[in-house]
Amino acid sequence: MMAQQLDAPRAAGPKAPLLSSRARRWLGNGLAYLVMTALAFIVMIPLFWMLSTSLKARWEIFAWPPQWIPETLHWENYREAFTKYPMGRFMLNSAFLVVVNVIGELLAVPLIAYGFARLRFPGRNVLFVLMLATMMIPGHIKLIPLFAIYHRLNMIDTYWPLVLPAFFGNPFFIFLMVQYIKTLPRDLDEAARMDGAGTWTILYRIILPLCKPPLTIILVYTFWWTWNEFLHPLIYLNSFDKFPVQVGLAFFKGRYSVEWNLFMAATLVSILPILILYFFVQRQLIGGIASVGLKG
Amino acid sequence: MRKSMLFVTLLLSLIIVLAGCTAAPAGQQPAAEQPAGEEAAAAGEPVTIDWWTVNSEEYSEEVQKAMVAEFEASHPNIKVNMTVLPESGFSDKMTTALGAGQGAPDVAFFWDNNWFPEALDLTPYIEADPNFDPSMYFEGFWNTRAVWQDKVVGLPLGVGAQFVMYNKDVFDEAGVAYPGADWTTEDFITMSTQLMDPDVKRWGGDRPRRPFRAIWFNYGAHPYSDDSMTVDGYLNGPESVAAYTWLWDLVQSGSTPTPADIEVLGTEGTGPVDLFLAGRLAMATLNQGHMLNAVKAGANFGVVPEPQVEGHERYVNAWSLTSSIWKGTEHPDEAWTFLSWWVGPEGQKFLMENGNLFPSIPSVLEQYKDADQEYAQAFFDVLKLKQVSEWRIAHPCDGAVARAAGDVWDKIMLGDIERDQIQSELDAVVPAAQEALDECRDRLGG
Repeated sequence: MMAQQLDAPRAAGPKAPLLSSRARRWLGNGLAYLVMTALAFIVMIPLFWMLSTSLKARWEIFAWPPQWIPETLHWENYREAFTKYPMGRFMLNSAFLVVVNVIGELLAVPLIAYGFARLRFPGRNVLFVLMLATMMIPGHIKLIPLFAIYHRLNMIDTYWPLVLPAFFGNPFFIFLMVQYIKTLPRDLDEAARMDGAGTWTILYRIILPLCKPPLTIILVYTFWWTWNEFLHPLIYLNSFDKFPVQVGLAFFKGRYSVEWNLFMAATLVSILPILILYFFVQRQLIGGIASVGLKG
Repeated sequence: MRKSMLFVTLLLSLIIVLAGCTAAPAGQQPAAEQPAGEEAAAAGEPVTIDWWTVNSEEYSEEVQKAMVAEFEASHPNIKVNMTVLPESGFSDKMTTALGAGQGAPDVAFFWDNNWFPEALDLTPYIEADPNFDPSMYFEGFWNTRAVWQDKVVGLPLGVGAQFVMYNKDVFDEAGVAYPGADWTTEDFITMSTQLMDPDVKRWGGDRPRRPFRAIWFNYGAHPYSDDSMTVDGYLNGPESVAAYTWLWDLVQSGSTPTPADIEVLGTEGTGPVDLFLAGRLAMATLNQGHMLNAVKAGANFGVVPEPQVEGHERYVNAWSLTSSIWKGTEHPDEAWTFLSWWVGPEGQKFLMENGNLFPSIPSVLEQYKDADQEYAQAFFDVLKLKQVSEWRIAHPCDGAVARAAGDVWDKIMLGDIERDQIQSELDAVVPAAQEALDECRDRLGG
């Protein structure tokens, strides 16, 4: 009975596939590329619009129907944006802040994280929880007390308030790195210790070389956050020639109007460093995000 | 050895990098950050005062720098350390410094009423200065932007006002006659409907951005009684119902951009000037800054006050920027010298001639270079109208009451209620509005 039932469909004979497996693979790949290209195009629309706006005359920006490609390309908008305000200077200031903050975080975070992850000392868990608790305090609440402290330290209108915190480690990065170091086998530490390595050697010769994924994340996120920082530089700096790029961009918004074409030209140039960084580190960044379980 | 070299190199590079963060040399330090003793020791040397300002269409960084140079040339005993900030960040920085009680500038805009308690009372300085006469200012702006709780907390810099700008080309194309200064709210709806053209995505006019501004006052509507005790009969009174009904008619005409349109196509809260300049908004409620943009763009436009309502007094939503001295200043005399020069006839004239400021001093405003132009005359006429601010300054709870009645506004904007429901909807929000008024009155000490 069972054999008959099983045989029944076979009697009709197997249907020959409409397409060969190679053609199916080609079709599948083609469809996937088509969908991904369409999605990429949709994601890129704001960037295209920025580029288009940056090359328009002011009256064309809100014209109907919208013009994706301006009749005349106003490349001089870029020159005007960079001469109206010293955007080059602002970008250099931002670059300086990025470099110092990255150095600070890369020096401080592994040290602190290693301590929490590997060393045993009284009050370690309490300290760790306290450190995590600082992440829960909204930044705006700390603004006035921090301003008062930095003012008393005579650090207003200097870059100190913008770089000093990095040398004490960002709690988020410390947490990230602690969790990552905990996943590394302790056998490695013990083997090194048996070979005569001290704590510093274990950290710098054994642990850190294995921590490329979280270190890449620290590098990229510090770059990104510092480059896009607006509020703190605005609060702590007074001198026009010390402002970073985000404060500089804000000058394009006046009381009564925004010079959209110049603003877009300056913004487009200002995001180039982040785009370039992403192209260089995207492989490590995606690998890092996957390995430390971080999703933005 | 290699490790030591690496360590030393790292340390040295760190020191070099951090050296870039160091404070400016003492000579470049803002005076407020130097110890008071240091100042005293340098007796006879010029006193440096800190001044925070913004970069705007009315006074660019270059123009203000030149103004400071002119001031310093005539006042060699005072140096002005100017900090130019972006418009969008000024409030955050001022609020932080005033909140910290330190690091605030000697002189700055105090454009937020919440900062007034931190401003120095200028009354003794005005009384002691024979060259300073408060009556030189427009009386309305002096009353609304200089005097607060019987104290003079600042001086009013420049004037601004809202009015309706209309695109003459669009009017000509549609064959509609230009509005006159005596036009009414009903004319506004009629013209807006005639001027709209969905085929070219053009709207006839724009909607008010909030209730109880000029048009509500033109209807004689107030959110509550003059003694700040009663909402019933005011918020839901016949004048208020008439104003809300006018809004309902305007929204239902379909000739105006929705709040969402304005949000998307407007300009970062600065008004729909770009839509107007692109010819997509035939009439727009804008201000003198937008007007100068239109002049610069070569637009063919006219200016009229916001429409009136027959039988009622006419109002304008106008303003000036309160410029004050921080009460924590260590140099009040020098700060007063600078403030009274900057916001006095000399400073305002400089900013008018070299920038785009419309001065708050009539005798200086008369010297405006394009004073004979049609648009300038229309703007000057608008400034003569009674100001909404006069009522608002005396009734600081109007925002709280209007917020409590926000549902009615939203429903009309979204087309969620019928015309004959406006009265009942306003009646329904009266208890919440009264509660908001009572709470606000108690909070402000009655």
